[in-house]
Amino acid sequence: MDLILQFLHNTGFYLADYRNLIMIVVGSFFVYLAIHKNYEPLLLLPIGFGIILGNIPFFKGFGIGIYEPNSVLHYLYFGVTSGVYPSIIFLGLGAMTDFSFLLGNPKLMLLGAAAQMGIFFTYLCALGLGFTAQEASSIGIIGGADGPTSIFLTAKLAPHLIGPIAIAAYSYMALIPIIQPPIMLLLTSKKERLIRMPDMREVSRKEIIIFPVVGMVLCTFLAPASIPLLGPFFFGNILKESGVVDRLANTARTAIIDTATILVGLTVGASTQGDVFLNPKSVGIFALGAVAFSIATASGILFAKFMNLFLKQKINPLLGAAGVSAVPGSAREVHMMGQKTDPTNFLLMHAVACNSSGVIGSAVCAGILWSFLIG
Amino acid sequence: MYGLEAIAHNNGWTIAVTGACIVFAGLSALSFVISQLHKLVALLDRPPKPILEVVVEPKPEVRARPDCPSDLHLTLTLYQPLIDELEPEFELAELYALARKYHLPHPHLSIRCLRDAGKLEPLGDGIFRFSA
Repeated sequence: MDLILQFLHNTGFYLADYRNLIMIVVGSFFVYLAIHKNYEPLLLLPIGFGIILGNIPFFKGFGIGIYEPNSVLHYLYFGVTSGVYPSIIFLGLGAMTDFSFLLGNPKLMLLGAAAQMGIFFTYLCALGLGFTAQEASSIGIIGGADGPTSIFLTAKLAPHLIGPIAIAAYSYMALIPIIQPPIMLLLTSKKERLIRMPDMREVSRKEIIIFPVVGMVLCTFLAPASIPLLGPFFFGNILKESGVVDRLANTARTAIIDTATILVGLTVGASTQGDVFLNPKSVGIFALGAVAFSIATASGILFAKFMNLFLKQKINPLLGAAGVSAVPGSAREVHMMGQKTDPTNFLLMHAVACNSSGVIGSAVCAGILWSFLIG
Repeated sequence: MYGLEAIAHNNGWTIAVTGACIVFAGLSALSFVISQLHKLVALLDRPPKPILEVVVEPKPEVRARPDCPSDLHLTLTLYQPLIDELEPEFELAELYALARKYHLPHPHLSIRCLRDAGKLEPLGDGIFRFSA
Protein backbone atom coordinates (compact mmCIF):
# COMPACT_ATOMS: atom_id res chain seq x y z
CA MET A 1 0.00 0.00 0.00
CA ASP A 2 2.86 2.32 0.92
CA LEU A 3 4.45 1.53 -2.39
CA ILE A 4 1.30 2.49 -4.24
CA LEU A 5 0.95 5.67 -2.21
CA GLN A 6 4.58 6.52 -2.84
CA PHE A 7 4.05 5.94 -6.54
CA LEU A 8 0.95 8.14 -6.54
CA HIS A 9 2.86 10.88 -4.72
CA ASN A 10 5.44 10.80 -7.49
CA THR A 11 2.96 11.14 -10.33
CA GLY A 12 2.31 14.36 -12.17
CA PHE A 13 -1.27 14.39 -10.95
CA TYR A 14 -0.11 14.76 -7.37
CA LEU A 15 2.83 17.06 -8.05
CA ALA A 16 0.99 19.37 -10.42
CA ASP A 17 1.19 23.05 -9.63
CA TYR A 18 -1.26 25.62 -11.01
CA ARG A 19 1.69 27.29 -12.79
CA ASN A 20 2.44 24.07 -14.64
CA LEU A 21 -1.16 23.88 -15.72
CA ILE A 22 -1.14 27.47 -16.97
CA MET A 23 1.98 26.80 -18.98
CA ILE A 24 0.49 23.59 -20.43
CA VAL A 25 -2.46 25.65 -21.61
CA VAL A 26 -0.05 28.21 -23.13
CA GLY A 27 1.91 25.44 -24.85
CA SER A 28 -1.30 23.92 -26.20
CA PHE A 29 -2.28 27.33 -27.54
CA PHE A 30 1.05 27.58 -29.38
CA VAL A 31 0.51 24.13 -30.86
CA TYR A 32 -2.98 25.21 -31.92
CA LEU A 33 -1.64 28.39 -33.55
CA ALA A 34 1.02 26.41 -35.41
CA ILE A 35 -1.24 23.65 -36.69
CA HIS A 36 -4.60 25.31 -37.11
CA LYS A 37 -3.62 28.91 -37.91
CA ASN A 38 -0.34 28.01 -39.59
CA TYR A 39 1.49 30.79 -37.69
CA GLU A 40 5.22 30.10 -38.08
CA PRO A 41 4.71 26.35 -37.52
CA LEU A 42 8.42 25.63 -37.82
CA LEU A 43 8.99 27.59 -34.62
CA LEU A 44 5.74 27.46 -32.71
CA LEU A 45 5.17 23.73 -32.96
CA PRO A 46 8.49 22.67 -31.35
CA ILE A 47 8.27 25.49 -28.80
CA GLY A 48 4.65 24.78 -27.94
CA PHE A 49 5.28 21.09 -27.55
CA GLY A 50 8.43 21.88 -25.54
CA ILE A 51 6.39 24.06 -23.18
CA ILE A 52 3.99 21.20 -22.54
CA LEU A 53 6.91 18.80 -22.08
CA GLY A 54 8.79 21.11 -19.71
CA ASN A 55 5.74 21.57 -17.51
CA ILE A 56 4.96 17.96 -16.84
CA PRO A 57 5.38 17.80 -13.07
CA PHE A 58 8.09 15.41 -11.94
CA PHE A 59 9.83 14.30 -8.82
CA LYS A 60 12.91 16.47 -8.47
CA GLY A 61 16.29 14.90 -7.96
CA PHE A 62 15.87 12.10 -10.50
CA GLY A 63 17.77 13.92 -13.26
CA ILE A 64 14.64 14.45 -15.34
CA GLY A 65 14.06 18.19 -15.60
CA ILE A 66 15.86 20.51 -17.92
CA TYR A 67 17.50 22.39 -15.04
CA GLU A 68 18.76 19.22 -13.37
CA PRO A 69 22.33 18.23 -14.11
CA ASN A 70 22.81 14.98 -16.03
CA SER A 71 19.29 14.95 -17.45
CA VAL A 72 18.92 14.35 -21.16
CA LEU A 73 17.07 17.63 -21.59
CA HIS A 74 19.83 19.41 -19.71
CA TYR A 75 22.41 18.11 -22.18
CA LEU A 76 20.27 19.13 -25.12
CA TYR A 77 19.74 22.52 -23.48
CA PHE A 78 23.50 22.99 -23.36
CA GLY A 79 23.35 23.94 -27.06
CA VAL A 80 21.17 26.86 -26.08
CA THR A 81 23.05 28.06 -23.00
CA SER A 82 26.41 27.79 -24.75
CA GLY A 83 25.18 29.61 -27.87
CA VAL A 84 25.95 26.63 -30.13
CA TYR A 85 22.49 26.27 -31.64
CA PRO A 86 22.20 29.93 -32.68
CA SER A 87 25.53 29.66 -34.52
CA ILE A 88 24.38 26.50 -36.30
CA ILE A 89 21.08 28.15 -37.22
CA PHE A 90 22.99 31.11 -38.64
CA LEU A 91 25.05 28.72 -40.77
CA GLY A 92 21.87 27.36 -42.32
CA LEU A 93 20.39 30.82 -42.61
CA GLY A 94 23.43 31.98 -44.54
CA ALA A 95 23.11 29.01 -46.88
CA MET A 96 19.50 30.07 -47.56
CA THR A 97 20.03 33.80 -47.99
CA ASP A 98 20.26 35.42 -51.39
CA PHE A 99 22.11 38.71 -51.12
CA SER A 100 21.75 39.63 -54.79
CA PHE A 101 18.76 41.86 -54.01
CA LEU A 102 20.77 43.75 -51.41
CA LEU A 103 23.76 44.03 -53.75
CA GLY A 104 21.46 45.35 -56.44
CA ASN A 105 20.23 48.18 -54.23
CA PRO A 106 22.74 48.75 -51.40
CA LYS A 107 21.00 51.76 -49.92
CA LEU A 108 18.29 49.44 -48.62
CA MET A 109 20.88 48.27 -46.12
CA LEU A 110 20.34 51.50 -44.20
CA LEU A 111 16.77 50.42 -43.47
CA GLY A 112 18.16 47.30 -41.82
CA ALA A 113 20.32 49.56 -39.65
CA ALA A 114 17.43 51.89 -38.81
CA ALA A 115 15.20 49.04 -37.68
CA GLN A 116 17.75 48.16 -34.99
CA MET A 117 16.87 51.33 -33.12
CA GLY A 118 14.11 49.36 -31.41
CA ILE A 119 16.83 47.39 -29.65
CA PHE A 120 18.44 50.43 -28.07
CA PHE A 121 15.15 52.11 -27.25
CA THR A 122 13.94 49.00 -25.43
CA TYR A 123 17.30 48.67 -23.72
CA LEU A 124 16.71 52.11 -22.19
CA CYS A 125 13.11 51.24 -21.26
CA ALA A 126 14.23 48.03 -19.55
CA LEU A 127 16.91 49.88 -17.60
CA GLY A 128 14.29 52.40 -16.53
CA LEU A 129 12.06 49.57 -15.30
CA GLY A 130 14.79 48.30 -13.01
CA PHE A 131 16.37 45.49 -15.03
CA THR A 132 20.14 45.18 -14.83
CA ALA A 133 22.18 46.31 -17.84
CA GLN A 134 22.77 42.69 -18.90
CA GLU A 135 19.10 41.83 -18.63
CA ALA A 136 18.10 45.03 -20.40
CA SER A 137 20.39 44.21 -23.34
CA SER A 138 18.94 40.73 -23.61
CA ILE A 139 15.42 42.16 -23.57
CA GLY A 140 16.30 44.90 -26.06
CA ILE A 141 17.63 42.41 -28.59
CA ILE A 142 14.09 41.04 -28.96
CA GLY A 143 13.58 44.18 -31.07
CA GLY A 144 15.88 42.64 -33.68
CA ALA A 145 13.10 40.07 -34.19
CA ASP A 146 15.75 37.43 -34.47
CA GLY A 147 15.26 34.36 -32.27
CA PRO A 148 18.75 32.87 -32.55
CA THR A 149 20.41 36.24 -31.88
CA SER A 150 18.19 36.81 -28.85
CA ILE A 151 19.05 33.37 -27.49
CA PHE A 152 22.74 33.88 -28.16
CA LEU A 153 23.01 37.24 -26.40
CA THR A 154 20.84 36.17 -23.50
CA ALA A 155 22.92 33.02 -23.03
CA LYS A 156 25.99 35.22 -22.73
CA LEU A 157 24.58 38.04 -20.60
CA ALA A 158 21.53 36.87 -18.70
CA PRO A 159 21.22 33.07 -18.97
CA HIS A 160 18.50 32.96 -16.32
CA LEU A 161 16.19 34.81 -18.76
CA ILE A 162 16.68 32.57 -21.79
CA GLY A 163 13.25 30.99 -21.45
CA PRO A 164 11.07 34.11 -21.41
CA ILE A 165 13.25 36.01 -23.90
CA ALA A 166 13.37 33.17 -26.40
CA ILE A 167 9.64 32.60 -26.09
CA ALA A 168 8.96 36.32 -26.48
CA ALA A 169 11.27 36.65 -29.50
CA TYR A 170 9.83 33.65 -31.31
CA SER A 171 6.28 34.54 -30.38
CA TYR A 172 6.60 38.03 -31.80
CA MET A 173 8.24 36.62 -34.93
CA ALA A 174 5.22 34.37 -35.30
CA LEU A 175 2.87 37.27 -34.64
CA ILE A 176 4.28 39.49 -37.39
CA PRO A 177 1.03 39.34 -39.39
CA ILE A 178 -0.74 40.80 -36.37
CA ILE A 179 1.83 43.30 -35.06
CA GLN A 180 3.28 44.91 -38.18
CA PRO A 181 0.33 45.78 -40.47
CA PRO A 182 -1.32 48.30 -38.10
CA ILE A 183 2.01 50.10 -37.61
CA MET A 184 2.57 50.19 -41.36
CA LEU A 185 -0.89 51.62 -41.98
CA LEU A 186 -0.51 54.15 -39.19
CA LEU A 187 2.82 55.54 -40.39
CA THR A 188 2.34 55.60 -44.16
CA SER A 189 -0.08 57.33 -46.48
CA LYS A 190 -1.73 55.56 -49.39
CA LYS A 191 0.37 57.64 -51.78
CA GLU A 192 3.54 56.41 -50.08
CA ARG A 193 2.40 52.80 -50.16
CA LEU A 194 1.84 53.12 -53.89
CA ILE A 195 5.48 54.02 -54.57
CA ARG A 196 7.01 51.56 -56.99
CA MET A 197 10.57 50.48 -56.61
CA PRO A 198 12.84 50.61 -59.67
CA ASP A 199 14.16 47.45 -61.24
CA MET A 200 17.35 46.30 -59.64
CA ARG A 201 20.54 46.17 -61.58
CA GLU A 202 21.82 42.78 -62.54
CA VAL A 203 24.39 41.52 -60.06
CA SER A 204 27.34 39.50 -61.30
CA ARG A 205 28.27 36.16 -59.81
CA LYS A 206 31.65 37.50 -58.75
CA GLU A 207 30.00 40.22 -56.66
CA ILE A 208 27.80 37.63 -54.97
CA ILE A 209 30.84 35.50 -54.14
CA ILE A 210 32.98 38.41 -52.92
CA PHE A 211 30.24 39.82 -50.68
CA PRO A 212 30.33 37.18 -47.89
CA VAL A 213 34.06 37.72 -47.47
CA VAL A 214 33.85 41.51 -47.52
CA GLY A 215 30.74 41.54 -45.33
CA MET A 216 32.23 39.22 -42.73
CA VAL A 217 35.53 41.06 -42.53
CA LEU A 218 33.90 44.47 -42.22
CA CYS A 219 31.23 43.49 -39.68
CA THR A 220 33.43 41.36 -37.47
CA PHE A 221 36.23 43.93 -37.49
CA LEU A 222 33.64 46.40 -36.23
CA ALA A 223 32.10 44.09 -33.64
CA PRO A 224 34.32 41.03 -33.05
CA ALA A 225 31.82 39.70 -30.52
CA SER A 226 29.47 38.99 -33.41
CA ILE A 227 31.89 36.42 -34.87
CA PRO A 228 29.96 33.41 -33.48
CA LEU A 229 26.88 34.54 -35.42
CA LEU A 230 28.20 36.31 -38.50
CA GLY A 231 31.07 33.89 -39.10
CA PRO A 232 28.81 30.87 -39.70
CA PHE A 233 26.27 33.10 -41.45
CA PHE A 234 28.65 34.34 -44.13
CA PHE A 235 30.32 30.93 -44.32
CA GLY A 236 26.96 29.36 -45.09
CA ASN A 237 26.39 31.99 -47.72
CA ILE A 238 29.68 31.39 -49.49
CA LEU A 239 28.98 27.65 -49.44
CA LYS A 240 25.80 28.42 -51.34
CA GLU A 241 27.15 31.01 -53.73
CA SER A 242 30.47 29.42 -54.59
CA GLY A 243 28.62 26.68 -56.45
CA VAL A 244 31.45 24.22 -55.86
CA VAL A 245 30.12 22.60 -52.65
CA ASP A 246 26.44 22.24 -53.39
CA ARG A 247 26.25 19.15 -51.21
CA LEU A 248 27.51 21.04 -48.14
CA ALA A 249 25.32 24.04 -48.84
CA ASN A 250 22.32 21.81 -49.25
CA THR A 251 23.05 20.02 -45.97
CA ALA A 252 23.51 23.34 -44.16
CA ARG A 253 20.20 24.73 -45.37
CA THR A 254 18.21 21.56 -44.76
CA ALA A 255 19.40 18.90 -42.32
CA ILE A 256 21.66 21.07 -40.15
CA ILE A 257 19.35 24.05 -39.67
CA ASP A 258 16.35 21.77 -39.25
CA THR A 259 18.07 19.75 -36.53
CA ALA A 260 19.15 22.91 -34.70
CA THR A 261 15.68 24.43 -35.01
CA ILE A 262 14.04 21.32 -33.58
CA LEU A 263 16.45 21.20 -30.63
CA VAL A 264 16.23 24.94 -29.97
CA GLY A 265 12.45 24.95 -30.12
CA LEU A 266 12.00 21.92 -27.96
CA THR A 267 14.54 22.84 -25.28
CA VAL A 268 13.61 26.53 -25.12
CA GLY A 269 10.01 25.47 -24.75
CA ALA A 270 10.93 22.96 -22.06
CA SER A 271 12.89 25.63 -20.21
CA THR A 272 9.65 27.44 -19.39
CA GLN A 273 8.87 25.44 -16.28
CA GLY A 274 6.00 27.19 -14.54
CA ASP A 275 7.83 27.69 -11.26
CA VAL A 276 10.79 29.32 -13.06
CA PHE A 277 8.94 31.06 -15.87
CA LEU A 278 5.82 32.54 -14.34
CA ASN A 279 7.02 35.59 -12.48
CA PRO A 280 6.62 39.37 -12.86
CA LYS A 281 9.90 39.62 -14.78
CA SER A 282 8.58 37.37 -17.54
CA VAL A 283 5.48 39.53 -17.86
CA GLY A 284 7.72 42.61 -18.08
CA ILE A 285 9.88 40.91 -20.72
CA PHE A 286 6.83 40.09 -22.83
CA ALA A 287 5.57 43.67 -22.59
CA LEU A 288 8.97 45.12 -23.44
CA GLY A 289 9.37 42.62 -26.27
CA ALA A 290 6.21 43.97 -27.86
CA VAL A 291 7.54 47.52 -27.45
CA ALA A 292 10.89 46.52 -28.96
CA PHE A 293 9.29 44.89 -31.97
CA SER A 294 6.88 47.76 -32.58
CA ILE A 295 9.59 50.43 -32.25
CA ALA A 296 11.87 48.48 -34.58
CA THR A 297 9.13 48.34 -37.22
CA ALA A 298 8.29 52.01 -36.77
CA SER A 299 11.90 53.22 -36.87
CA GLY A 300 12.50 51.37 -40.14
CA ILE A 301 9.44 52.97 -41.74
CA LEU A 302 10.23 56.44 -40.41
CA PHE A 303 13.81 56.23 -41.60
CA ALA A 304 12.63 55.27 -45.09
CA LYS A 305 10.45 58.38 -45.08
CA PHE A 306 13.43 60.42 -43.90
CA MET A 307 15.56 59.06 -46.76
CA ASN A 308 12.83 60.04 -49.20
CA LEU A 309 13.41 63.68 -48.28
CA PHE A 310 16.79 63.47 -50.02
CA LEU A 311 16.31 60.83 -52.69
CA LYS A 312 15.22 61.50 -56.26
CA GLN A 313 14.01 57.94 -56.71
CA LYS A 314 11.76 57.51 -53.66
CA ILE A 315 11.73 54.35 -51.56
CA ASN A 316 8.44 52.74 -50.61
CA PRO A 317 8.47 53.32 -46.82
CA LEU A 318 6.77 49.99 -46.20
CA LEU A 319 10.18 48.45 -46.86
CA GLY A 320 11.42 49.93 -43.59
CA ALA A 321 9.23 47.42 -41.74
CA ALA A 322 11.24 44.62 -43.35
CA GLY A 323 14.40 45.99 -41.74
CA VAL A 324 13.76 43.76 -38.76
CA SER A 325 15.44 40.43 -39.25
CA ALA A 326 12.39 38.17 -39.09
CA VAL A 327 13.21 36.29 -42.28
CA PRO A 328 11.15 35.97 -44.39
CA GLY A 329 7.99 36.81 -42.42
CA SER A 330 8.35 40.58 -42.37
CA ALA A 331 9.34 40.71 -46.07
CA ARG A 332 6.24 38.73 -46.93
CA GLU A 333 4.11 41.04 -44.82
CA VAL A 334 5.50 44.15 -46.51
CA HIS A 335 4.85 42.63 -49.91
CA MET A 336 1.29 41.74 -48.98
CA MET A 337 0.63 45.20 -47.61
CA GLY A 338 1.97 46.74 -50.83
CA GLN A 339 -0.26 44.46 -52.89
CA LYS A 340 -3.30 45.37 -50.85
CA THR A 341 -2.79 48.98 -51.91
CA ASP A 342 -1.79 48.19 -55.48
CA PRO A 343 -2.03 44.57 -56.66
CA THR A 344 0.52 45.24 -59.41
CA ASN A 345 3.20 46.53 -57.05
CA PHE A 346 5.79 43.85 -56.24
CA LEU A 347 7.91 44.70 -53.23
CA LEU A 348 9.00 41.22 -52.20
CA MET A 349 12.54 41.26 -53.60
CA HIS A 350 13.25 44.70 -52.18
CA ALA A 351 11.84 43.67 -48.81
CA VAL A 352 14.06 40.58 -48.80
CA ALA A 353 17.05 42.91 -49.28
CA CYS A 354 16.04 44.87 -46.16
CA ASN A 355 15.43 41.62 -44.31
CA SER A 356 18.89 40.24 -45.01
CA SER A 357 20.37 43.57 -43.95
CA GLY A 358 18.36 43.30 -40.74
CA VAL A 359 19.88 39.90 -39.98
CA ILE A 360 23.36 41.39 -40.25
CA GLY A 361 22.31 44.47 -38.26
CA SER A 362 20.84 42.56 -35.33
CA ALA A 363 23.89 40.28 -35.12
CA VAL A 364 26.16 43.34 -35.09
CA CYS A 365 23.98 44.88 -32.35
CA ALA A 366 24.28 41.70 -30.30
CA GLY A 367 28.06 41.83 -30.70
CA ILE A 368 28.18 45.48 -29.66
CA LEU A 369 26.01 44.97 -26.59
CA TRP A 370 27.97 41.89 -25.57
CA SER A 371 31.27 43.72 -25.89
CA PHE A 372 29.92 46.70 -23.89
CA LEU A 373 28.65 44.55 -21.04
CA ILE A 374 30.95 41.57 -21.04
CA GLY A 375 32.75 42.86 -17.97
CA MET B 1 16.71 51.98 -8.87
CA TYR B 2 14.23 52.96 -11.57
CA GLY B 3 13.61 55.52 -14.28
CA LEU B 4 16.11 58.00 -15.62
CA GLU B 5 18.28 57.51 -12.57
CA ALA B 6 18.69 53.81 -13.40
CA ILE B 7 19.48 54.62 -17.02
CA ALA B 8 22.12 57.15 -16.05
CA HIS B 9 23.58 54.86 -13.40
CA ASN B 10 24.12 52.08 -15.97
CA ASN B 11 25.57 54.42 -18.62
CA GLY B 12 22.42 53.66 -20.57
CA TRP B 13 22.40 56.81 -22.67
CA THR B 14 26.03 56.39 -23.68
CA ILE B 15 25.68 52.72 -24.53
CA ALA B 16 22.46 53.24 -26.50
CA VAL B 17 23.70 56.22 -28.50
CA THR B 18 27.15 54.74 -29.13
CA GLY B 19 25.70 51.37 -30.05
CA ALA B 20 23.19 52.90 -32.46
CA CYS B 21 25.91 55.02 -34.06
CA ILE B 22 28.24 52.04 -34.46
CA VAL B 23 25.54 49.91 -36.10
CA PHE B 24 24.60 52.74 -38.42
CA ALA B 25 28.19 53.56 -39.31
CA GLY B 26 29.03 49.89 -39.85
CA LEU B 27 26.09 49.13 -42.11
CA SER B 28 26.54 52.43 -43.96
CA ALA B 29 30.18 51.51 -44.62
CA LEU B 30 29.14 48.05 -45.78
CA SER B 31 26.48 49.61 -47.98
CA PHE B 32 29.07 51.91 -49.54
CA VAL B 33 31.51 49.07 -50.10
CA ILE B 34 28.94 46.86 -51.81
CA SER B 35 27.77 49.78 -53.94
CA GLN B 36 31.33 49.99 -55.29
CA LEU B 37 31.82 46.25 -55.56
CA HIS B 38 30.65 46.04 -59.15
CA LYS B 39 33.28 48.60 -60.13
CA LEU B 40 35.98 46.48 -58.53
CA VAL B 41 34.67 43.42 -60.29
CA ALA B 42 34.59 45.30 -63.59
CA LEU B 43 38.22 46.25 -62.99
CA LEU B 44 39.14 42.62 -62.39
CA ASP B 45 37.13 41.52 -65.39
CA ARG B 46 38.86 43.91 -67.79
CA PRO B 47 40.39 41.75 -70.51
CA PRO B 48 44.19 41.82 -70.58
CA LYS B 49 45.67 44.15 -73.14
CA PRO B 50 46.71 42.19 -76.21
CA ILE B 51 50.45 42.30 -76.68
CA LEU B 52 50.90 43.89 -80.04
CA GLU B 53 53.98 42.97 -81.96
CA VAL B 54 55.21 45.87 -83.95
CA VAL B 55 56.10 44.42 -87.24
CA VAL B 56 58.55 46.66 -88.96
CA GLU B 57 57.94 46.33 -92.62
CA PRO B 58 60.99 46.80 -94.71
CA LYS B 59 60.77 50.12 -96.41
CA PRO B 60 60.68 49.88 -100.15
CA GLU B 61 64.03 50.68 -101.51
CA VAL B 62 63.84 54.03 -103.14
CA ARG B 63 66.39 54.58 -105.71
CA ALA B 64 68.18 57.76 -105.28
CA ARG B 65 67.39 59.96 -108.13
CA PRO B 66 69.44 62.89 -109.23
CA ASP B 67 67.87 65.82 -107.53
CA CYS B 68 68.88 68.95 -109.27
CA PRO B 69 66.09 70.74 -111.22
CA SER B 70 68.49 73.52 -112.23
CA ASP B 71 70.66 71.07 -114.16
CA LEU B 72 69.13 71.28 -117.65
CA HIS B 73 70.90 68.25 -119.01
CA LEU B 74 69.87 66.08 -116.17
CA THR B 75 66.31 67.38 -116.30
CA LEU B 76 66.12 66.71 -119.99
CA THR B 77 67.40 63.17 -119.48
CA LEU B 78 64.66 62.59 -116.89
CA TYR B 79 61.81 64.27 -118.78
CA GLN B 80 62.57 63.09 -122.32
CA PRO B 81 60.81 59.74 -121.85
CA LEU B 82 57.78 61.54 -120.47
CA ILE B 83 57.60 63.96 -123.36
CA ASP B 84 57.92 61.02 -125.72
CA GLU B 85 54.97 59.47 -124.03
CA LEU B 86 52.81 62.54 -124.68
CA GLU B 87 51.31 63.83 -127.91
CA PRO B 88 53.57 66.24 -129.83
CA GLU B 89 51.46 69.08 -128.51
CA PHE B 90 50.44 68.88 -124.90
CA GLU B 91 49.41 70.85 -121.88
CA LEU B 92 51.88 71.42 -119.05
CA ALA B 93 49.38 69.86 -116.68
CA GLU B 94 49.72 66.57 -118.60
CA LEU B 95 53.48 66.66 -118.26
CA TYR B 96 53.16 67.50 -114.58
CA ALA B 97 50.78 64.58 -114.04
CA LEU B 98 53.22 62.18 -115.67
CA ALA B 99 56.09 63.56 -113.57
CA ARG B 100 54.05 62.92 -110.40
CA LYS B 101 53.14 59.47 -111.65
CA TYR B 102 56.77 58.48 -112.01
CA HIS B 103 57.76 60.17 -108.77
CA LEU B 104 60.17 62.54 -110.38
CA PRO B 105 61.54 65.11 -107.96
CA HIS B 106 60.45 68.73 -108.01
CA PRO B 107 58.17 68.62 -111.05
CA HIS B 108 57.22 72.31 -110.81
CA LEU B 109 60.80 73.48 -110.71
CA SER B 110 61.91 71.04 -113.39
CA ILE B 111 59.15 72.07 -115.84
CA ARG B 112 59.96 75.71 -115.18
CA CYS B 113 63.64 74.97 -115.88
CA LEU B 114 62.66 73.40 -119.21
CA ARG B 115 60.48 76.39 -120.10
CA ASP B 116 63.16 78.89 -119.18
CA ALA B 117 65.63 77.01 -121.33
CA GLY B 118 63.18 77.22 -124.26
CA LYS B 119 62.80 73.47 -124.43
CA LEU B 120 59.03 73.82 -124.05
CA GLU B 121 57.70 76.07 -126.70
CA PRO B 122 54.31 77.75 -126.05
CA LEU B 123 51.77 77.46 -128.85
CA GLY B 124 49.07 79.51 -127.15
CA ASP B 125 45.99 78.50 -125.19
CA GLY B 126 48.20 76.60 -122.71
CA ILE B 127 49.49 74.19 -125.34
CA PHE B 128 53.20 73.40 -125.56
CA ARG B 129 55.49 71.48 -127.77
CA PHE B 130 58.96 70.08 -127.11
CA SER B 131 61.72 71.77 -128.93
CA ALA B 132 64.91 69.74 -129.16
